[in-house]
Amino acid sequence: MKPIRNLVESLEPHFKEGGKYEKFHPAFDALSTFLFVPGHTTENGVHIRDAMDLKRTMFTVVIAMIPTLLFGMWNVGYQHYLAYGMDMSLMENFMFGFWRVMPIVVVSYAVGLGTEFVFAISKKHVVSEGYLVTGLLIPLILPVTIPLWMVAFASIFCVIIGKEIFGGTGMNFMNPALLARAFLFFAFPAYMTGDIWTDLTPEPGHALVDAYTGATNLVTFDNDFTQLPSPSDMFWGFEQGSIGETSVFAILIGVFILIASGVGSWKIILSCVIGTLAMGLFLNLLAPVDVPTSSLHTPAYYHLLMGSFAFGAAYMATDPVSAAHTEAGKWIYGILIGVFTVILRVFNPAYPEGVMLAILLMNVFAPLIDHLVVERHIQTRMKRA
Amino acid sequence: MESLVNLFVRAVFVENVVFAYFLGMCSFLAVSKKIKTAFGLGLAVIFVMVLTTPLNYLILNYMLEEGALSWISPSLASVDLTFLAFILFISTIAGAVQLVEMVIEKFLPALYSSLGIFLPLITVNCSILGTSLFMQEREYGLAETAVFSLGAGVGFFLAIVLLAGIRERLRYSNVPAPLQGLGMAMFITALMGLAFLSFSGIKI
Repeated sequence: MKPIRNLVESLEPHFKEGGKYEKFHPAFDALSTFLFVPGHTTENGVHIRDAMDLKRTMFTVVIAMIPTLLFGMWNVGYQHYLAYGMDMSLMENFMFGFWRVMPIVVVSYAVGLGTEFVFAISKKHVVSEGYLVTGLLIPLILPVTIPLWMVAFASIFCVIIGKEIFGGTGMNFMNPALLARAFLFFAFPAYMTGDIWTDLTPEPGHALVDAYTGATNLVTFDNDFTQLPSPSDMFWGFEQGSIGETSVFAILIGVFILIASGVGSWKIILSCVIGTLAMGLFLNLLAPVDVPTSSLHTPAYYHLLMGSFAFGAAYMATDPVSAAHTEAGKWIYGILIGVFTVILRVFNPAYPEGVMLAILLMNVFAPLIDHLVVERHIQTRMKRA
Repeated sequence: MESLVNLFVRAVFVENVVFAYFLGMCSFLAVSKKIKTAFGLGLAVIFVMVLTTPLNYLILNYMLEEGALSWISPSLASVDLTFLAFILFISTIAGAVQLVEMVIEKFLPALYSSLGIFLPLITVNCSILGTSLFMQEREYGLAETAVFSLGAGVGFFLAIVLLAGIRERLRYSNVPAPLQGLGMAMFITALMGLAFLSFSGIKI
């Protein structure tokens, strides 16, 4: 560490005001504070210093996502070899997935952070750490077959339109990673729906097995819910889907980290679950008796296990910036996410998965929910006074 | 009954006048800085829509369309006055807005002054004329017209209140200078439209 620290310190004067590379100060600042604790001191007023700054918060979320990333890599390989009927070892499955997933992660980080640097330099503010989370979320919610240029395109879009034009980190009213996915979904539907969930790079000497079907579970679900994989497969994640979303088990590890460290709001996660279960049970009551396979009959807890519900509720709905800020608002926000998720899944044949759009929609509603909650507080206080 | 519920849901969410047809943009963008004002304008728009669209339906079906005048005398059965539809629709709307304006000025003077010029301008809010014209084009019945106009009004109300909520939250954010104010509202509208796309194709 010592030589690096010396190097950073020797370079610093060039980037200070009046130095040769003054313009690139934000970029330098981002790198040096990433490596070492900054030596800044506050200049006026009383400040509370806490080790839990934005950088640590974001890093906790990144750590919480590691289990889903690792499992996602393994599952990419597993699904690939399953489609060709080949029985491979754990390590071979994982390595196959590793070489498929890593380029997506690298592109997402490189392009997204590059865009952030450009904006930081032109707007003369420091690079903030928000993209550390977004940059890993984007690969996890994309199919593994996505072309890399689209990943780059979506990263640029979400940084500029989703965040920078609203004033940067902390000001975006929509979750940037979800925005990137929604953007790709509506702009390039051919690459985001259909037979894309498994990497079908040809294996010499092997043909696709007959039973192989490329559609995700949620497409078949609209017509006949009994076609879904068994609940245990959906829980452990042995199914097709976006890279990080399949395993509820891996996500639960992440949820544990988020809640134990206090970074994610347990209220939002719990209320998402309640909303989904309640709506699922309600639709069971409405379900037609003469069509036993209708998606209205889906057991409510299936909705928690299938698709990307768990991933969305754990990592996207809890985004502290775009979620509701008030405590009562968080309950309303989460329950509505659950309700809309089930409605979109069951009633909207155009989009098989509803979680992404339900969260985006609630991001739009969150400021209004907060406003109503605050107004209500004011009214009850006025009455008491 | 089920089709009426479906029509209402479609008008509010799927075919939202703002996000699907981009109607009523001027007041949508201009009066959405504060939730309270947006709330008032939204209610006024709902009221005017629910009042004028069924009225326009009656005017269209008993005065303007070919054969509509036959209830006066059979000799008028061949008269087709539909070319007057625009001008009569607008007159109805202008009259209703006058009414709303007087009521608001009398009972809610604070809202009246914060809405300013945009209250009389509801007259030319294209979402209201648009709703009447959709009614004519899609050949709705009277019950359908009433439900549709309520749905379109609620859709506009929802859109403008949501936008105001987001703009209030972003009030202190460091927006790039060229995008401050209207430019930002446009971007927010676009992203909200993206979120509302989630309803397209929904069937109840």
